[in-house]
Amino acid sequence: MQVFGVRYRNTQGTLMRILNAVSRRGIDLPYVQATPAEHSHTVTLLLEVSPKQIGQLRRDWLAIVDVAEVHAGGRLSMIAKPKPNWIAPAYPAVSSGVAVDGGARTATA
Amino acid sequence: MLSCLRAEGVDLAFGYPGGAIMPLYDALPESGIRHVLARHEQGAVFAAEGYARVTGKPGVAIATSGPGATNLVTGIADAKMDSVPLVCITGQVRSALIGTDAFQETDVFGVTLSLTKWSRLVRTIEELPAVIAEAFYWARSGRPGPVVIDIPSDVLKAKMEFAGPVKFQPESNPAEDSDSSFAQAAIALLDRAKKPVALVGAGAKLSGAVADLRRLLDRLQIPTFATVHGLGAVPPDAPYYLGMVGMHGTRAANLALNETDLLLVFGARLDDRVTGDPTRFAPHARIVHFEIDPAQLDRVRPCDLSVIGDLTETVPAFSSAVHRVSLPDWRGWRDIACGPERAELDPRGLAQPTIRFLDELFSRLPENSVIVADVGQHQMWAAQRYHSSSPRGFVTSGGLGAMGFALPAAIGVQLAKPDTTVLCVSGDGGFQLNIQELATVRRLGLPIKMVVVDNKYLGMVRQWQQLFYDRNYSETDLSDNPDFVEIARAYRIHGNRLNEDAMRELPVAAATSDTLERFLKSSEPELLVFDCHPEANVYPMVPAGAALSEMLLEQE
Repeated sequence: MQVFGVRYRNTQGTLMRILNAVSRRGIDLPYVQATPAEHSHTVTLLLEVSPKQIGQLRRDWLAIVDVAEVHAGGRLSMIAKPKPNWIAPAYPAVSSGVAVDGGARTATA
Repeated sequence: MLSCLRAEGVDLAFGYPGGAIMPLYDALPESGIRHVLARHEQGAVFAAEGYARVTGKPGVAIATSGPGATNLVTGIADAKMDSVPLVCITGQVRSALIGTDAFQETDVFGVTLSLTKWSRLVRTIEELPAVIAEAFYWARSGRPGPVVIDIPSDVLKAKMEFAGPVKFQPESNPAEDSDSSFAQAAIALLDRAKKPVALVGAGAKLSGAVADLRRLLDRLQIPTFATVHGLGAVPPDAPYYLGMVGMHGTRAANLALNETDLLLVFGARLDDRVTGDPTRFAPHARIVHFEIDPAQLDRVRPCDLSVIGDLTETVPAFSSAVHRVSLPDWRGWRDIACGPERAELDPRGLAQPTIRFLDELFSRLPENSVIVADVGQHQMWAAQRYHSSSPRGFVTSGGLGAMGFALPAAIGVQLAKPDTTVLCVSGDGGFQLNIQELATVRRLGLPIKMVVVDNKYLGMVRQWQQLFYDRNYSETDLSDNPDFVEIARAYRIHGNRLNEDAMRELPVAAATSDTLERFLKSSEPELLVFDCHPEANVYPMVPAGAALSEMLLEQE
């Protein structure tokens, strides 16, 4: 497993282009986290890749218009541990205020 | 919107109207921008590509939301592969409906994300001028490519005073710069090389570095070959030039690439059609790769020296350095690589009449003509027989290999170069993929010379079926083709037909010669169908996954 960090300007689609460089190669993506970092954003990815793919990914990412920096070989400790009791935010109410499917949505609204 | 396009120098656009894009079309007649109505959005985007490929300026294609936008996708992918500057403008359902699966709504931003260099869904009219400026910047800059601007209809309907052109200034990206000492490093590699060669790709002409590159190659005098998109960058009569390399490249080029100990690559991606089996590509060579797009480096094989940058800067720097030093004597190697023993054999076998037909046509073309080839056997025959030093004179869908490209692309080429002879060479399969664009040709009265090489098969697929699938011609039979001459007549385009008998003997008979002359000299659109043997094959051929040295030659 290899940890990558990509710093990018958070413009439309840039994060998706970064992820697409992974998915188009059929590489599993067990962990990804994007966070703001000063004036830009950083996405951290954990990937199972071959040495050749490391170079390819790095160059593909750098070719994306709003990618500024790519790091490979970060520490696994950079990966945040999943919270055991992660709670999803409440499902938003439909804007009209009319419950679509009865109780559940009305209850969380 | 249209004022912004004008500010970017747009005076011609190709498109097809529809619901969401109607506000743009409503303003179009007063805009000063000429619009060419294609008969299918794919025709529009290929025409825009044709325009861009011969001018170097961004081509503009316009379509409506939903199916209009998705019909652009093949052209967008094609432009990405072949580094064509292309700006696609798509209408989108109005902002309030986005995400509701509204009528003719498609997430074109998402659909095209992996095919574009850059894209935007415009949210307000206020951001439109900056978006358009940025779109054109990215389409043109660095390695050119396609961009998409998706605009909801309410944004298109909104009004705002045009405040003049916006200049886009990118934030500096820390691109990898080559060490300025690359020239000395490359010369050191040259100095040790016994069998150096040069490979020229599309980057030479896209960057405008052809003259500098020719000066460099004239100094080096090393065996040189080109990719299909590099054709024309090196004068075909240069004594060191070996023609096209790769799957259907010349024997001499592929053998030289197999034997070389130093490969200089100028603006080529080194895709699988060029390399054959990548593990056996240039097996003895060190590689020096001149390339503008760092993403293309080391894809197939690690190179020994990467020279990242615009060829208009790196090639002159290298050339100047090379002109200041004495070089090893490579005459012995050059004499072998370029010698008569490796020269191409005269065409023979079932393809001979077709190849002679193309030779006859090409030899009669005025200088600086443009040949637009579709995809398939005829494409490779045309590439093999292309002997012109016009860098943008051979246009084809090389990377994506999109059948149906040639006819609409020829429309864009002819509009860009109204005084140039444009020869469109298609197969019977590809011609039918965008045959509706005959209506566009007729409406505009474009004097495109259209050739259909008709073997009544999807010929290249059939060739593979013959060679690698025990002649199981599964679903490649087109023996029930329509009469293309009659179809042309329905579009009020004159058509004619030649068969192989016309090319049995050389020189060709007077009647055949007259037919060819009339075809090429007409000031009107013309169609010429050439009946090709159904089992004619393209040789040499490197089977997929084989090394370049494992070429199949005719009759093997």
